[in-house]
Amino acid sequence: MTPDRLERIYAFALRLYPEPFRVNYAPAMLQTLRDARADGSLARGALTRLIVADLVTSLAKEHLSMLRDTFGRPALLFNAFVLAGISTILALALYAIPQQVLRQGANDPQIEMVTNLAVHLNKYGVSDGLRQGALTTYGSATVDMANSLSPFLIVYDDEGRALGSTAQLDGQTPTPPAGVFDYVRSHGQERVSWQPRNNVRIAAVVERISGAQPGFVLAGRSLREVEAREGQVLKMAGVAWFGMLGLILLGTIAFGWFTRPKTA
Amino acid sequence: MPIQGPPQVPLTPAVFAILLSLAEGEKHGYLIMKDARAPEGGGVRLGPGTLYGSLDRMMHGRLVVESGMSDDKRRRYYKLTALGRRTLAAEVNRLDAAVQTARSLGVLPHRSRS
Repeated sequence: MTPDRLERIYAFALRLYPEPFRVNYAPAMLQTLRDARADGSLARGALTRLIVADLVTSLAKEHLSMLRDTFGRPALLFNAFVLAGISTILALALYAIPQQVLRQGANDPQIEMVTNLAVHLNKYGVSDGLRQGALTTYGSATVDMANSLSPFLIVYDDEGRALGSTAQLDGQTPTPPAGVFDYVRSHGQERVSWQPRNNVRIAAVVERISGAQPGFVLAGRSLREVEAREGQVLKMAGVAWFGMLGLILLGTIAFGWFTRPKTA
Repeated sequence: MPIQGPPQVPLTPAVFAILLSLAEGEKHGYLIMKDARAPEGGGVRLGPGTLYGSLDRMMHGRLVVESGMSDDKRRRYYKLTALGRRTLAAEVNRLDAAVQTARSLGVLPHRSRS
């Protein structure tokens, strides 16, 4: 490579440096190459190899340094993190609020059913009330808990033994955990998500029956559809979250670029 | 690199060689490169990009200052600051201690000091 050609190529390659660095140092760098050539203490081949190796390493280094100066500024990063934090809270709210509305709404028919049946059984007593057909009056026909979306009713005695039910699961009437009955004994009513077996989740409302023959009334309904909608809400909130983070990233890059330091 | 405070060592070979070269007095880019390449100057093969990138960062670290420019503004001259000189001294002391340790371990032959 002739000296003139090396110099021309080097002058062209200097354009690859970040602008602030190039403006400050390109003439001095080119002059340094001319001085090296004029001095001649380094053979032409060795000088060419040195210049090429230096170009590769220093270009990478200066561009990294420029990226750090442009996007690594504490104020810029602080703003990005604050915005990312706010968008995370918003996305959590976007999920949590509809999820709670959906979950609480899943109790609505059961609240009405359990209240009506409890009033009836309190009035007529559990045994007489069941004999009068209270379960089918306030509930539907037999419900398969594993597959049906219909609400159902179960009446338990004070020990938690099922006395009557409009629901079956695998041919039996399931019983909620004893802790639920303990809570209802002291608080009057409880609303729980009950999982009588794997893949069967029930929105259950349990109410106390007082009087001469105390017991409990449980009204339940499958959470399958509600949880599917909760899954959709989660997906939408996730998409919104990633979208907001993407916008923050793009905004930070654009703002960082337009406000980047103009001198090296 | 610190703006104030005690010198920060160890230095990179390039920064050490540049400081050592400028300890002699103010110099422009190619003279620094040439000094650095010599074995007694550190034996560091600096190209123009590495040299001016290092000088830029050393100016931000207050180790060197630009002391002038040639009339055609193509040669830029640099000199050490007081902090640069202290940093160089600290690095030389650090290296000297390491060399003494190497001698005591028999890695290097013992030399009498005058």
